[in-house]
Amino acid sequence: MSQPLADGVGVARAEHFESIAQQRAAATLGIWAWLITELLLFSALFLVALITRIQHPEATVAAAKHLKFWIGATNTVVLICSSLTMSMAIEFSRMGWQRAMVRAMLATAALGGLFLVLKGYEYYADWDEHMMPFLSSRPFALAETPAARLFVNLYYVATLLHALHLFTGIALLLGMTWMAAKAGFLARHQNWIEIYGLYWHFIDLVWILAFPILYVVNR
Amino acid sequence: MSASGSIGGTARREPHTPESTIGRKADYLHAESTLRSWFLTTDHKRIAILYLVSITGFFVIGALAAGVVRLALVVPNGAIMTNDTYNKAFTIHGVVMVWFFLIPSIPATFGNFLIPLMIGAKDLAFPKLNLTSWYVFMAGALFTLVSVVLGGVDTGWTFYAPLSTAFSNTWVLPALIGVTIVGFSSILTGLNFVVTIHTMRAPGMTWFKLPIFVWAHYATSLIFLLATPVITTALILLIAERAFHIGVFDPAYGGDPVLFQHLFWFYSHPAVYIMVLPGMGVISEIVPAFAQKKLFGYRFVAYASIGLASVTFFVWGHHMFVNGQSDLASLVFSALSFAVAVPSAVKVYNWTATIHKGSLRLDTPMLYAMGYIGLFVLGGLTGLYLATLAINQHIHATYFVVAHFHYIMVGGTVLAFLGGLHFWWPKFTGRMYSEPWGRVSAMLIFLGFNVTFFPQFILGYLGMPRRYATYPAEFQLLNVLSSAGATILAAGYIFPMLYLVYSLWFGRKAPANPWNAKGLEWETASPPPTHNFLTPPEVPRIPYDYPIQAQESRDQHG
Repeated sequence: MSQPLADGVGVARAEHFESIAQQRAAATLGIWAWLITELLLFSALFLVALITRIQHPEATVAAAKHLKFWIGATNTVVLICSSLTMSMAIEFSRMGWQRAMVRAMLATAALGGLFLVLKGYEYYADWDEHMMPFLSSRPFALAETPAARLFVNLYYVATLLHALHLFTGIALLLGMTWMAAKAGFLARHQNWIEIYGLYWHFIDLVWILAFPILYVVNR
Repeated sequence: MSASGSIGGTARREPHTPESTIGRKADYLHAESTLRSWFLTTDHKRIAILYLVSITGFFVIGALAAGVVRLALVVPNGAIMTNDTYNKAFTIHGVVMVWFFLIPSIPATFGNFLIPLMIGAKDLAFPKLNLTSWYVFMAGALFTLVSVVLGGVDTGWTFYAPLSTAFSNTWVLPALIGVTIVGFSSILTGLNFVVTIHTMRAPGMTWFKLPIFVWAHYATSLIFLLATPVITTALILLIAERAFHIGVFDPAYGGDPVLFQHLFWFYSHPAVYIMVLPGMGVISEIVPAFAQKKLFGYRFVAYASIGLASVTFFVWGHHMFVNGQSDLASLVFSALSFAVAVPSAVKVYNWTATIHKGSLRLDTPMLYAMGYIGLFVLGGLTGLYLATLAINQHIHATYFVVAHFHYIMVGGTVLAFLGGLHFWWPKFTGRMYSEPWGRVSAMLIFLGFNVTFFPQFILGYLGMPRRYATYPAEFQLLNVLSSAGATILAAGYIFPMLYLVYSLWFGRKAPANPWNAKGLEWETASPPPTHNFLTPPEVPRIPYDYPIQAQESRDQHG
């Protein structure tokens, strides 16, 4: 805990823990351990994308030029803003400002939703430009360079996996916001906000890694 | 230890069996008896029992498939069944035994049950997550099982591309999805153990007072956390490749099938240590208890666990010596593979040094432990043959490899599993099993195992490749011998299932500590109460505080 909590804010002890401090330590270590596994999950994927890029530089650049750089860049900003609102929610929870916290959480979910809308539009534009090589029914714009097909397909695997994490994150966040709006939440479960915040920042971080690896190749 | 100096070489045992504790209402088995209280339990001990029952079921299925394989190989010309049936049988055997028995075997059952007891905690750090991991495991495992039985997957447990992505006409896709799901159950179990061992230790239980069983599970959990996500990615890419032909493992699109092998073995070699390390932990508990002697070189054994878990991440290339890997890479992977022998040998020497001048009692768990040590040495040393580049060229993908890893997986892990099951059976159930039957079965398994698998070393050395339904007629004698051994082994497996179940109702009631063993799990009743300890346990001054100690230990501890 980096800073003291306001009065009436805290955690209810589960019976198998000896103390609140132990419970908090377990929760923090648990989420970090989970995030390390998530990082490895994405790292393996990014590694494969980088290997493809090293082995087939021209085809990769040609494919990356078709990705919508400005939508990706906007989405990067959107997610960074959502991390800001999530951090604010955590600060408000420590101070015991429940209404402000709930609003910050809703803003976070809304920014996450905006990301998904923009991403969905981007997929639509990709479809329109015949950039969905995994669809056997639709001809691929860069059919003459096979490695371009591979890179674009990896782009879909990586971004869909990220979008799945974000979607799950928004669903969890909305569920938690519904519970957090009730009286007495901060006295029992302030920790949830802290723990969840780490997960949200992680989703943001994965995008910050994905964006240069997938998009910036075309600049 | 001032007392130990005076007793010389003899161990002190309690002359009378302490009073049994099974009658008390409060123990975890009898606290509640509804189905709901089992399927929605968050008690780590009950979840361990759920796992124990499930993985025993998977073991039976995997063993039956192995029986089909051995039946097919009795004749050289493949006349007993079609080649397709043979391929499907060995795939069921591999998939079920590796993914649904060996990987969860000791951690999810004994680890789940014993880690909180051994460190003096009331439960694992995340009890609900623990239950979730069982449901995730069952969902994925049953899904895969249905796929491999109905659709007859024929890729082997390794799912190598391009067979799995482009050529197999069987239900590979659902099998892959199921195995991917099971991976999450491993991750959740590993995460729970790491957090529990870090944060839930009783006051005074410092790291170097932890039993080696806990150290081994800590190392295993690190592998669960750091390797499993990579196989998840590999399987996701394989699923996308098979479903949408994304091209990542297909040379026609600039992909590379060997890339799958890299990603696969980056997990699956460490996974060998997911299967082996917990068994080493079990042996490190059994040997001191039945020698009544302090574990020799405690710190070295603990460090060796972490050492194995670290080195194992850097040897995956030894599975690909003949797959077009560069000579330099092969050389480095070969040298690193030899390095694995060092921590392994540290453990073996420390177990044997613990037995040396101990006060031995050859009860069933100790018979399994001694069998383990012998078979593990043989399996480990033949691993060095395989790690040698020149020899590997000759015995790569032959029955020599099959024999080698069965010596580690069956001779090692399964024997440790059975040894641990007998050792802690009184703690799990509150009942004693039949000792004579136990000893007979342990020796049957040792005999049956060697008759089954030793001929396979010779077959492999003579050049019989693995995974073929037919073979030259001159190999028939050794193959028949191997299949005959499998029937002895099967009998050895059936006996424990019968007498252990029998003991649940008719076995003698067990005292809290039937083996006069050390460790916090023996301080509480058999079976333990729901929250493990009625009074907070007192952490001993040193781990493995047995009556007999080697000279170096006496000097060290005064």
